Amino acid sequence: MIWQILLLSGVVLFSILAILSKDLIKSAISLALASLFLGILFFQMNAPYAGVFEISVVAGLITVLFMLTIALTKAEGDVRESKLARLIFPLVFVAFILIDVLVMKGLLQKVPALPETSESGAFGDVLWKQRTFDLIGQLAIILAGVFSVLALFRKRNKDE
Amino acid sequence: MIFLFIGLPLVVAALLPLIGKISKRVLPDLLANAVFLLLLVLAVTAGRQVISEGPVLKQLNWLGEPVGITVAVDGFSLFMLMAISLLTLCVSLYSIDYMERYGAKANYYALLLMMAAGMNGLVLVTDLFNVYLFLEVAAIASYALVAYGLEHDELEASFKYLMLSVIASAAILISIAVLFGMTGSLGFTAVAAGLRSLDAKFVVGFCAALFIMGFGLKAALIPFHAWLPDAHPSAPAPISAILSGLLIKVSGVYALTRILFNVFGLTPALSQVLMYLGAVSIVVAAFLALGQKDMKRLLAYSSISQVGYVVLGIGIGTPLGIAGGLFHLFNHALAKGLLFLNSGSVQHATGTRNLEEMGGLAKRMPVTAATSLIGSLSIVGVPPLSGFWSKLIIIMALVQAKEWPLALVAILASVLTLWYYLLMQRKAFFGKLDEKWKNVKEAPFWMTASTVILALLSIGVGLFFSAFIKSWIQPASDVLARGIHLALGSWGI
Amino acid sequence: MNNTWFLYMAFAAGLLFVGLYCLLTMKNVIKLFIGIEVISKGVSLALLATGFVKKNTLLAQSLVITFIVVEVSLVATALAIIINIYRHTKSLDIRKLTKLKG
Repeated sequence: MIWQILLLSGVVLFSILAILSKDLIKSAISLALASLFLGILFFQMNAPYAGVFEISVVAGLITVLFMLTIALTKAEGDVRESKLARLIFPLVFVAFILIDVLVMKGLLQKVPALPETSESGAFGDVLWKQRTFDLIGQLAIILAGVFSVLALFRKRNKDE
Repeated sequence: MIFLFIGLPLVVAALLPLIGKISKRVLPDLLANAVFLLLLVLAVTAGRQVISEGPVLKQLNWLGEPVGITVAVDGFSLFMLMAISLLTLCVSLYSIDYMERYGAKANYYALLLMMAAGMNGLVLVTDLFNVYLFLEVAAIASYALVAYGLEHDELEASFKYLMLSVIASAAILISIAVLFGMTGSLGFTAVAAGLRSLDAKFVVGFCAALFIMGFGLKAALIPFHAWLPDAHPSAPAPISAILSGLLIKVSGVYALTRILFNVFGLTPALSQVLMYLGAVSIVVAAFLALGQKDMKRLLAYSSISQVGYVVLGIGIGTPLGIAGGLFHLFNHALAKGLLFLNSGSVQHATGTRNLEEMGGLAKRMPVTAATSLIGSLSIVGVPPLSGFWSKLIIIMALVQAKEWPLALVAILASVLTLWYYLLMQRKAFFGKLDEKWKNVKEAPFWMTASTVILALLSIGVGLFFSAFIKSWIQPASDVLARGIHLALGSWGI
Repeated sequence: MNNTWFLYMAFAAGLLFVGLYCLLTMKNVIKLFIGIEVISKGVSLALLATGFVKKNTLLAQSLVITFIVVEVSLVATALAIIINIYRHTKSLDIRKLTKLKG
């Protein structure tokens, strides 16, 4: 249990760093570290495939994409964020966590659930036999993403 | 056969960039339009036979073995498939001429096909998570299409749209996660059965609230509408037509009603929430539309208002109300698609969308003026155009359900609608022709052709409305009226 | 069992809050998108944790993987839009971008 709490705190802590840090590069790295913690947590929760995906794709690929964008958009003067937002964040966050802890417990107790049926079989079977439609969906999503990027980076011919 | 609705656009879209290397214009035009035409023919002819004996589940066979791809076809999804194929066909005919100036046609059609595949998939799936997945397919294609002009406004609108959509998806997914935790499964049937055996009013209410927020954002109902008046006008005209005519209805209204009616079962409280959301959208958006100078912005606000009618009708929950809502959904898709296409024709000819600068364009663009008059009158609800019958049915259903104040709102709001549409018609098409527009010419062939098709359909559906209701609307509204018994009974455990 | 679920869901809600706070207060478009990423982390944690405590890990795992694929596609599209925005305004400030009235 203590491990899980540490890992979860790590995820939240680095996420907070990611949104509060002034330097975008530091933000992106904090985000990657948060993903790393989340990935390790997924391993702890007997979900190795999700863990591998989280670490390789989210912490790896998405961070690379972020870095690329930051490098391509090196603005001269950084965007000035409001100081107030940064200062009051701890206050608001602590308040939210208190409400969260108090309310969530009451809420989740009320959720009735069907008795658990432990599933058997390998991960491949589940993905291939039950969630085959998701694979089609993934394919479609990837295609849509590729076409979107192609469309957004196409050369506009100016002779209109 | 029914799998073609998802598979065919996907495959053709995947091939299009390669084909675009060989032929920049002709082949992509031909191929995309052929696909949409084929899907329309399939939906109208073969689809009817599939559901002749009621709703069916179809499982895909791959090399003789069934795999885990199951789609459900019933009156409601077939009706939506027909509407989607019809409007996408008209839009892609229109694009033949209109998209010339944007370049990269193959890429454009690929995105359009992806959006169609996403919407078709969303309509056919039987599983909560797949609803989210196909929603995202259509959404990602639409972000790129909104930004297709790559100008400042387009990019800003697209970015705003993307941000709000992601919040919507997060709300939907959290709700799915809670339902998954309660019932241990994701299929409509299993979740409906699980919720019935559990006594969980409170949690179901919470999930319904999250779904209403998420899908309400997608459908741009009033408190969640901020993105639509930016995103729809900024997109190229054919895309505005699809977004306003179809996407907000498929990914908002369809998904919401399917889940609320067939999985949760409509409770009186939910019905009230939907009706009041609809009524607020109708009134507020109508007032906002009145002040608009930009033709496409006016149309966009009017879309919010008309989607309000659809939600109001469906929210009543009686068979008559549902039928009225669905009929209005179809009529609005035709008419708003037509009007957005016409606004594109006007912009194509004059280069402006500002109503103050136009005037007297009817003399130079007679077809555009005539068709947009038909579209406007249909939305306003003038007999015998199709929009009249659907509004009449909604109001009748409201009276039948003894919701007098809402019936009054629906009637008064259509007066407002009449007002701003007449304003638009007068400023754009009637009056004296400005010197500036002396050399304006009517839009090219395919652009006028597709608007004429839509206008004729608006008239035709209005004239033969009883036959249309009997063959398309009735099966669809039956499905919703049967509530969770559909998921439990006909799709069968 | 509900205690474990409570732990995970409380943290997931925390992540959602951090992300939403970022969306509401920050002005840099890339920072805004980092907020979106934080929200996505909260959602994937909620999905997997639900599957984990309900002994449905395999199913939840496949959902999370699909979700991650969606995320990648979304990030690519959004960052392409951001780069285009930068080309137009030479700035990443959302205040300089807003011309439309909403």
